[in-house]
Amino acid sequence: MSTKASRAAARLMISPSVILLLGWMLIPLGLTLYFSFLRYNLLMPGDNPFVGLENYSYFLTDPGFTAAIWNTLALVLGVLVITIGGGIVLALLLDQPMWGQGIVRILVIAPFFVMPTVSALVWKNMFLNPVNGLFAHLFKALGLQPYDFLAQAPLLSIIGIVSWQWLPFATLILLTALQSLDSEQLEAAEMDGAKPLSRFWHIMLPHLARAITVVVLIQTIFLLSVFAEILVTTNGGPGYASTNLTYLIYVQSLLQYDVGMGSAGGVVAIILANIVAIFLMRMIGKNLEA
Amino acid sequence: MARAVKTQRKALNTAIAWGVGLLIFFPILWTILTSFKTEAEAIADPPVWFNFSWTLENYFTVQERSNYFRHFWNSVVISVGSTLIGLIIAVPAAWAMAFVPGKRTKDVLMWMLSTKMLPPVGVLVPLYLIFRDLGLLDTRIGLVFVLTMINLPIIIWMLYTYFREIPSEILEAARMDGAGLREEVLHVLMPMAVPGMASTVLLNIILAWNEAFWTLNLTAAKAAPLTAFIASYSSPEGLFYAKLSAASTMAIAPILIMGWFSQKQLVRGLTFGAVK
Repeated sequence: MSTKASRAAARLMISPSVILLLGWMLIPLGLTLYFSFLRYNLLMPGDNPFVGLENYSYFLTDPGFTAAIWNTLALVLGVLVITIGGGIVLALLLDQPMWGQGIVRILVIAPFFVMPTVSALVWKNMFLNPVNGLFAHLFKALGLQPYDFLAQAPLLSIIGIVSWQWLPFATLILLTALQSLDSEQLEAAEMDGAKPLSRFWHIMLPHLARAITVVVLIQTIFLLSVFAEILVTTNGGPGYASTNLTYLIYVQSLLQYDVGMGSAGGVVAIILANIVAIFLMRMIGKNLEA
Repeated sequence: MARAVKTQRKALNTAIAWGVGLLIFFPILWTILTSFKTEAEAIADPPVWFNFSWTLENYFTVQERSNYFRHFWNSVVISVGSTLIGLIIAVPAAWAMAFVPGKRTKDVLMWMLSTKMLPPVGVLVPLYLIFRDLGLLDTRIGLVFVLTMINLPIIIWMLYTYFREIPSEILEAARMDGAGLREEVLHVLMPMAVPGMASTVLLNIILAWNEAFWTLNLTAAKAAPLTAFIASYSSPEGLFYAKLSAASTMAIAPILIMGWFSQKQLVRGLTFGAVK
């Protein structure tokens, strides 16, 4: 089909991307792996002896690690449940005939375009602050005690903020999938007397299954790396109450200057992310053949 | 009768949807409103909605105190720069893979995608040290490089899915007419590829503008884009809600507008073509 010359040209055109990405991936990865076997702290100059798996055993037995794993799980699962549940409801709602549908869609999608530091700080100060936040005003108006969200329920508050950011993404993708559903099939089911709930359960949900999987996988990749929202709201605290794996590694490497330990944590994070990535890649790869 | 019921249902849908939409949008609306208040009005209890003395003072204060436009400009340079460089590297690759696919094209594409799955924190330490040793910490050029690499797989993938939709018969016809590779690309392919490329550029500027891991960890005062600059409001002194709102409004406005234009591409870009 294609000539030898065009083959060679194609290879030449692809090679810059491949070489750059290969370097981008292999050099830092190799260094992370290498550092993870060294006793290497920037505060303690001198040679950095090889210590085998010492960093890993410290990292994995650190009380912060167990907390961070659970917090990471809670954060990912919490946000997934909220955004997918809410996303399905919103997508079904937006799919109905209404006036000003385009504007409503714009309103719903907007939070996705707000940078993480802005959304976290706006929520932290203007809504969740126990003295001046809108929720505090609302609680007082209702005769309730103001609640210090970020001190009393730091992880839940962060789950809320991150869900607000990702709900638009889930909604948009599920809506796109919903709109590709054959309307004749739905009408036929309606004619046959299928109730709305059974139409949803037997026709819409199976049709959405693929889109839901894609949302779960992509969001998981991003949610494993939530960082800015934690940094500007709670700094991971109080204690380890809102520290996830990403934040823990950040603290160890850039605040405590422990290169060895931070690298061991990095390797652990890569392994965890890869488990998710394998499933995602399979889904996308299947689509490539279609 | 049936018609009246239909209109009634439509009205009900409209009311619910607008209610929910405004609720989700409310934090952004509130930020924009607060940016025009005085600091005292910003924390007033009960809150003031529209009946306050509108002022632009916060915008001027933010600029005066912290040289806001320097950070704004950093954001522009970093997001546009990384996107354009990424585009230059990605167009030939996507073109070749879409029109001269080989046996391993699919594997190469999947491998490129897999680099995107790497959690940034996994390579934080070495990258930080490399940047320190090369004097790249807190420089725009360093960040442009990192963001180019992060978004390169998305750019290649998006371009690839767009290019693949261009019928290759047209290219063959051009070739038959004696068009060389240069003419083929410049006069035949490019005009058809421009819409897809524009969407790719738009989405990548948005992603780069909002990137908040590397920008926070690799910059300090000098090269900090808006993501990092806004983070400095996390430990403020005195009253600052109105100023925070003004800084935030300016930081999100351009992207909000671009984002609304690229809704459709967002789905394709962020799902790597898995949902269209």
